Amino acid sequence: MSLLEISDLHASVAGQPVLRGITLAVEAGEVHAIMGPNGSGKSTLAHVLAGRPGYEVTAGQVRFDGQPLLSLAPEERARAGLFLGFQYPVEIPGVNNAYLLRAALNAQRRQRGLPEIDAFDFLKLVKQRMQTMQIDESFLSRGVNEGFSGGEKKRNEILQMLVLEPKLALLDETDSGLDIDALKVVARGVNTLRSPERAIVLVTHYQRLLDHIVPDRVHVLARGRILRSGDRELALELERRGYDWILEQAAA
Amino acid sequence: MRMNAAARILEQYAALQPHAPAADAAAQQLAALGLPDSRDEQWRYANLRALDGIADFRPGRGGQPNAAPAARALPEPLPDHLRLVLVDGRFDAALSCPPAALSAAGVGLARSTNPGPAGATSGPLQLLTRMFAAETLTLVCSADARLELCCIATAGNAAGYPTLDVQLAPDATLQLVERHLGGAQRASLPGQLVCASTRLTLAANATLRHYRLQEYGAGVLWLDNQDARLARDARLILCQIGVGAATARHTAHIALAGERAELHWQAMAVANGRQVNDTWVRVDPLARGTVTQQRFRGIAADQARVACSAELKVGGAGAGARVQQNLRGLIDGRGAEVDLRPRLEIRTDDIQASHGATTGQLDETLLFYLLSRGLDPATARTLLKWAFLGDVLGEITVPALRRVAEQAAAGQLADVLASGAMS
Repeated sequence: MSLLEISDLHASVAGQPVLRGITLAVEAGEVHAIMGPNGSGKSTLAHVLAGRPGYEVTAGQVRFDGQPLLSLAPEERARAGLFLGFQYPVEIPGVNNAYLLRAALNAQRRQRGLPEIDAFDFLKLVKQRMQTMQIDESFLSRGVNEGFSGGEKKRNEILQMLVLEPKLALLDETDSGLDIDALKVVARGVNTLRSPERAIVLVTHYQRLLDHIVPDRVHVLARGRILRSGDRELALELERRGYDWILEQAAA
Repeated sequence: MRMNAAARILEQYAALQPHAPAADAAAQQLAALGLPDSRDEQWRYANLRALDGIADFRPGRGGQPNAAPAARALPEPLPDHLRLVLVDGRFDAALSCPPAALSAAGVGLARSTNPGPAGATSGPLQLLTRMFAAETLTLVCSADARLELCCIATAGNAAGYPTLDVQLAPDATLQLVERHLGGAQRASLPGQLVCASTRLTLAANATLRHYRLQEYGAGVLWLDNQDARLARDARLILCQIGVGAATARHTAHIALAGERAELHWQAMAVANGRQVNDTWVRVDPLARGTVTQQRFRGIAADQARVACSAELKVGGAGAGARVQQNLRGLIDGRGAEVDLRPRLEIRTDDIQASHGATTGQLDETLLFYLLSRGLDPATARTLLKWAFLGDVLGEITVPALRRVAEQAAAGQLADVLASGAMS
């Protein structure tokens, strides 16, 4: 049984079909990269899996950890162990990072039948993860992403992921807007999460991220379908040749 | 057939003895004019029809001998603040700090049985105050002081008329925390009237940091009048938090009479159920180079009504004024309404002014972000409403008061919010 099984998934946004039959299996322990030209449906796939309102599934099935996923509310998917790292993390002035992290962590712990985390243990955990992500401790009392640079927001997304330790992380263009140093920090955070029990799906435009987070599988998503899958070599080939040759082959 | 509110007010007044001449004059004026209706007034929601639900306009006996003790209604004292207590509008010396402590802090206190002079907002509510208010409490600050004024409404139907006259001498600095609490706790008729009047006079270079926290019970009709006049280089930093009462109607008229006078006005209203919170504030920059900053945040849930009308009129005498108005409303219920009206009337070319008002619902993108972290929808919605209020709550620089205000707001938003969410 795969950790994530997507079968012939179709979805529309504002009445427009975007996903036109995605089939994909992700095993625990794997890292998959989904690449593709702009407008191909990569981010839509991530948001559909996370349950974003307005993204309507018109056909197909998704199973996560052996259970049907699509009937779950967004918060239920999160508590089941699915994490979406946003391409554009939102700012929520007035709600501090520590509160959100702890509330999110406790929501998951309750789901697993665990007691709420003790304040001391929580701080210890968060500070440890912040060290990995090279985030200053003052950040905990600041508003969620308030006044953060683009790179800080992305690091914060990965910090949340490290605290929540999801079974499946969907990272939507986590590398966009990062300089090379920030990219390395983010990649280190993602690699920290790699384990035989978890899986990571990276949505990205650029091969450079895959120099730091080596994927087990690479998929090309275009026109709402996965047109080609391969190993890391496929990403390198895309870097050299672009996407046209795949689109032409698919059209032939 | 039940008499209308004006007739009952006059009848109850007639039964009171003795009458002061000023009170009689006010009663005659009310008899001649009657109470205004919605055609006479510009209030969006809080017209005076609410007075029909008041059975007793006579002031309660709080603060008098043999009255029910009000001490248990008092909150924890604020650190480093001298406490003054009004019960049903009467000064309660036993619950207040000793006069010597006030004197040592450079504050003079006087009690006058003649209700204070009407301010620029004189109208039906001033008439009520002049007819029924037992006394005016006058505070004169000539140094640097911190006061906490608790206005307690005792339970029952009797009314309260807290009437306050605050005067700051040149260069004086006063931090005044005004808390309104107590009163009928159930939203059932007949309601309980609290009619408050405050006059603020700031001499040259004086600074008043004035916090007002209104947490009356759900059976209270709160009618509040505030008049302020600022001399040159005076600063009024006013932060008003309104979470209580069945209907809260707040009127403020602020005259920036001296050059470079500054008003920093923050207000927050959170209403749910069938609560009404209506604010009307008018600012008149009457001298050169004044500064006006106004920020309002209002949340209406369920079937509540929240409104804010912010008027500013500036003519040639107010040239060089800098004005910012920022009003925001959040509707969180299918039957809820928010009405915001920023109004600038400018009759001079020499002014920097900006104003804006937005009303909307919770941002769906923000909501999804929180849900995607596993928070349940109720908590996520509460957090976003909390965040919406953050820039007003964040202006409270007294930590203990800020905690109180946060708890009051949190209690009004939902019970699910634990402390510590604010950044």
